[in-house]
Amino acid sequence: MITYILRRLNLLLLTLLILALASYWLVHAFPGDPVANLSGVSFITAEQKAYLDQYYHTDKSFLNQFIRYLELLWLGDWGKSFVSGQPLVDEIATFLPASIELGTYALILSLLFGIPLGFWAGIKHGKVSDYSILSFSLLGYSVPVFWLALLLILFFSLQLGWLPISGRISLLYDIPQETGFIVYDILASNIENKYEALVNAASHMLLPTISISIVTSTIIMKMTRHSVIEVLSSDYIRAAYAKGLTSRQVLLKHGLRNALLPIVPQVAMQFTTLLTNAMIVETIFSWPGVGNWLIQAIYQEDYPAIRAGMLAVSVLVVVFTVFIDLTHKVFDPKRMHHRRVKN
Amino acid sequence: MLKTSLYQEEAPPSPLQQTWLEFSKSHAAFFGLLCMCFFVLVISFGPLITPYSPLEQNTDALLVPPAWTASGGIDYMLGTDALGRDIMSRVVYGTRVTLGISLFLVIVSMIIGILIGAFAGMMRGLQSSILNHLLDSLMAIPTLLIAIIIVAILGPGLINSMWAITLALVPQFIHYTRDAVRSELRKPYAVAAKLDGASKAHMFRSTIFPNIIEMLVVRGTQALSTAILDISALGFLNLGVQAPGTELGAMLSEGLDISYIAPWSIAAPGGAIFLMILSINLVGDGLRSALHNRFLH
Amino acid sequence: MPKVESLNITIRPLLTALISSFLLFACGETNPINTEKTGLIYCSEGNPSTFNPQLATSGTTADASSYQIYDRLLEFDPETNKIVPGLASHWQVSKDGLTYTFTLRKEVHFHSTQFFKPTREFNADDVIFSMDRWRNWDHPYHDVSGGNYPYFASLELDNLIDAIYRVDSHKIKITLSKPDSSFLANLATDFAIVLSAEYGDFLLNKGTPELIDEHPIGTGPFQFIHHQKDRYIRYKKNANYWRDIPLVDQLIFDITPLSSLRLAKLMTGECDVLSLPAHSELEIIRERENLILDEKPGLNVGFWAFNTSRAPFDNIEVRKALAMAIDKSALVEAVYFGSAVKANGIVPPSSWAHQSDLQGTSYNPILAKELLKKNGIEDGFTLDIWAMPVERTYNPNAVMMAGLMQGFLKDVGVNVNIVSFEWNSFRRRLAEGNYDSILIGWSADNGDPDNFYRPLLSCPSIDSGTNRAKWCSPQFDELINEALTYSDERTRVALYQSANAIIADQIPLVPIAHAYRYQAYRSNVNDLVINPFGGIRFGGVYKQ
Repeated sequence: MITYILRRLNLLLLTLLILALASYWLVHAFPGDPVANLSGVSFITAEQKAYLDQYYHTDKSFLNQFIRYLELLWLGDWGKSFVSGQPLVDEIATFLPASIELGTYALILSLLFGIPLGFWAGIKHGKVSDYSILSFSLLGYSVPVFWLALLLILFFSLQLGWLPISGRISLLYDIPQETGFIVYDILASNIENKYEALVNAASHMLLPTISISIVTSTIIMKMTRHSVIEVLSSDYIRAAYAKGLTSRQVLLKHGLRNALLPIVPQVAMQFTTLLTNAMIVETIFSWPGVGNWLIQAIYQEDYPAIRAGMLAVSVLVVVFTVFIDLTHKVFDPKRMHHRRVKN
Repeated sequence: MLKTSLYQEEAPPSPLQQTWLEFSKSHAAFFGLLCMCFFVLVISFGPLITPYSPLEQNTDALLVPPAWTASGGIDYMLGTDALGRDIMSRVVYGTRVTLGISLFLVIVSMIIGILIGAFAGMMRGLQSSILNHLLDSLMAIPTLLIAIIIVAILGPGLINSMWAITLALVPQFIHYTRDAVRSELRKPYAVAAKLDGASKAHMFRSTIFPNIIEMLVVRGTQALSTAILDISALGFLNLGVQAPGTELGAMLSEGLDISYIAPWSIAAPGGAIFLMILSINLVGDGLRSALHNRFLH
Repeated sequence: MPKVESLNITIRPLLTALISSFLLFACGETNPINTEKTGLIYCSEGNPSTFNPQLATSGTTADASSYQIYDRLLEFDPETNKIVPGLASHWQVSKDGLTYTFTLRKEVHFHSTQFFKPTREFNADDVIFSMDRWRNWDHPYHDVSGGNYPYFASLELDNLIDAIYRVDSHKIKITLSKPDSSFLANLATDFAIVLSAEYGDFLLNKGTPELIDEHPIGTGPFQFIHHQKDRYIRYKKNANYWRDIPLVDQLIFDITPLSSLRLAKLMTGECDVLSLPAHSELEIIRERENLILDEKPGLNVGFWAFNTSRAPFDNIEVRKALAMAIDKSALVEAVYFGSAVKANGIVPPSSWAHQSDLQGTSYNPILAKELLKKNGIEDGFTLDIWAMPVERTYNPNAVMMAGLMQGFLKDVGVNVNIVSFEWNSFRRRLAEGNYDSILIGWSADNGDPDNFYRPLLSCPSIDSGTNRAKWCSPQFDELINEALTYSDERTRVALYQSANAIIADQIPLVPIAHAYRYQAYRSNVNDLVINPFGGIRFGGVYKQ
């Protein structure tokens, strides 16, 4: 067990190192002066150049440069954006929480829909309700998120005028940013009309959350259904029935737990899919998240921002994945090889 | 020669026939197959059935609604966009581009992935363990995210996005192939072949590959729907095919500007993507359960 | 990599956020109360380049600053187009038209904000400071923020004004070098705003003079709070405003470059007022019951200018042939959706100097082709058309128009290459002057016809960058200069008609359309009027 954890952490470190190396390679691979790409200062005078060379060790060997790069990454100096001139760490700290927040709400919504429906379909395996849930899930699974988001906007916002379509909160509320998580920031702020602001924020959140959670709900539904069917056909369930327990008792006492436990890590893994979809949907809803920011950076050829954004997102995903994997191993060491679900 | 057989022969269907029998039992999968055939027809004969060129502008017919609405006309079945281009022709050409490129990418990544995967699967030792773990980490990241990151590095454009998606898909095929090869190697028939003294290359070609190809085809259909989603998402984000190009995702993002006055300009290309993915998923699911049932019997 | 503590910071708020969002969904029904009524959101089309309209001619900059943050000595009445008192309560003009005396209003306060607290009220020093900044090349603020004052430079106002005298604390006297009948109108434009001299001194002492244009202080109805690039500009009401105090507490510019998104936000109520509705969307706005669309004939012209400093466009016959090759009526129909009139000259019908019997070039591709042949332009000649990437009142979709012209010009054997960049780099490259022809236009800043002739086609305006044709005719300049010395409209019209004849003969540019001006807003917004010249005004607007 301990060896496994150590091996996994070792590998995590290795992966992170590779990611950092890749991002440092980008500094040189992108057009322009590597020092400019590192620092985010686009017009460098000779005097500045000397200083920056010394600061980034760009006058020394590659290994030395890279170690300095790692050091600066650790210290939080990721350079500045070409476009805004702001430190990239600050920018990412502003935008990443917005994406994580969106992804988290969507995950919760997917669980609220996916698990009960999947459970129901599993119990009614082979019946009409199973088939209708299954076909719905196939539809939901096939719909492109960006198109779904547009359809939702057309219907709920423009046709019915119920929900707003852009941003996280009406601009009339001036919420000072503390953590980047809007709901927390509202509660922590000292504005007068907190409740009103919360309602406004919730109404902004609804459409983007729904549009990315539909795909994930269907995936979770499929997983739950599959797991329930498997558990219900197992020997101990039959034994429980043989004991004379009612189906209700069997399901609650034996079915639920055993069906849900094995899929927990897979469900958690869906967060990375959600984050990706969130990044796309952000551009439609003008959500100030990391996806929107990264895509703007790509359009504007803001190389320092692309480098930092790429690093931040991939580090987040990799660390998250390993974290889930480890927790799962700790809680359920028997299943050393859990199944994987596509994408 | 006798035309009919005298003996009551047991003629067990070949594995392929068995799969087909199982597959055609499912109405949904069959419907998916029909849909897919339709799309294949569209991409092969598209230019013959479209009434206009996808880039032809008609300033006398801007934003014409589809034919079945009151102000629509039979000239433009699905209406026109803000520049007076025929949406049906654009969707047909867009489908060609989106589906065509996706098919191409999946086939290329499949070939690369299977080759590397086979190599890794037949091999043992430390290298394969590191590869194993790296692949595991890569598999956990959605392909679209990998593709976006690669496009961020390479810069927007069709060719770059094709590279990005290929690079994102290949690890999946490596992973599946390697796992499949591993599990086949443990089976008695493989051990028998090995004891016969077959070389590794020969063993893979004539013993293992025929047994895993069906599974890989199922994975291929999944990869195809992923590829379509990814390429159209990149097009939608203006990172793939650029604006005047006819790609379904890029058309959607162009239609975004006028979606409130001309909803049909986003309904048609989006619907095409949706139907394509749906039919591929139906076929993939059908195929998978057909194979599953075949092995069950 | 983020430090270890950051994990803690991220998880705690997330949990709180989750829990409270559940509570919210449980509460259900949203019912906006206060904040939404006391704040006004305007969906604007872009970032202002500065908060000082003296420094720019773009409408976006004027919208964000001119009428919100500042006041002028004089104003235009939006209904009658007449000049009315602003910070100057009254004024006198000497008989020879060379001396102007302005009496200034008392008890006018500058904004008191977090970054500056004024100690005195508005007086003559502020007016002199504001005018000297662009007029006097030695002024400490002249070179701050680039030192370019395009509007004043294109009209040569710095040469026109001879001297400014401070008579007493609330009276100034301006003497001109020659009579100019458009002088008062120029003082009422978006650009002739009044800055605070005290704030100027304050910043100079602090060593940050450029902040005068980034953190502006004015006397206007709203005071500036914060601008976040590409996202929003936040203002709050000036509670000490000398006119009626604004009825909304907050004014917000929601920067939304995509016109369809602006409309969508107006529909969902995320914006109260919309800038530049796209012509294709007007019908939708009219159909919606909760939206109002105001329209007014605009004082503007959209045109196609040839770079006459380049061969072969220095040849009048080539320009004439190209002008004949395009069908203006078709362009107006397709691009403006009929909400514009075809232009024959550069002055629109709503101006008193409009010449209704002026004949424009007629569409005649056959003659055009012959003329091109005659001047050595063979089939396959390639011409660049630069098209603005943004919508403007005078041309809502230049790229589309260029696409249509591509078709017309193909018929006469000319290939067209459409050039378009992102708006800021477009303007920068435009200044470098490497274009064959360009689709652009002009919106008047005041009611005087001189405001069309001089910036668009006079010789000095080549250097100030508003003469896109780079065309210079001494004869034309003489005519428009002479016209300014008369205050009688009939005499001026006669002179302008001779100028029109020169333009029609030489075709430095092809006038295409005079567009209507539109303003769209939600029906609970009251007292918003279209300002015929330039920037939008939110001073007296309120929400129900």
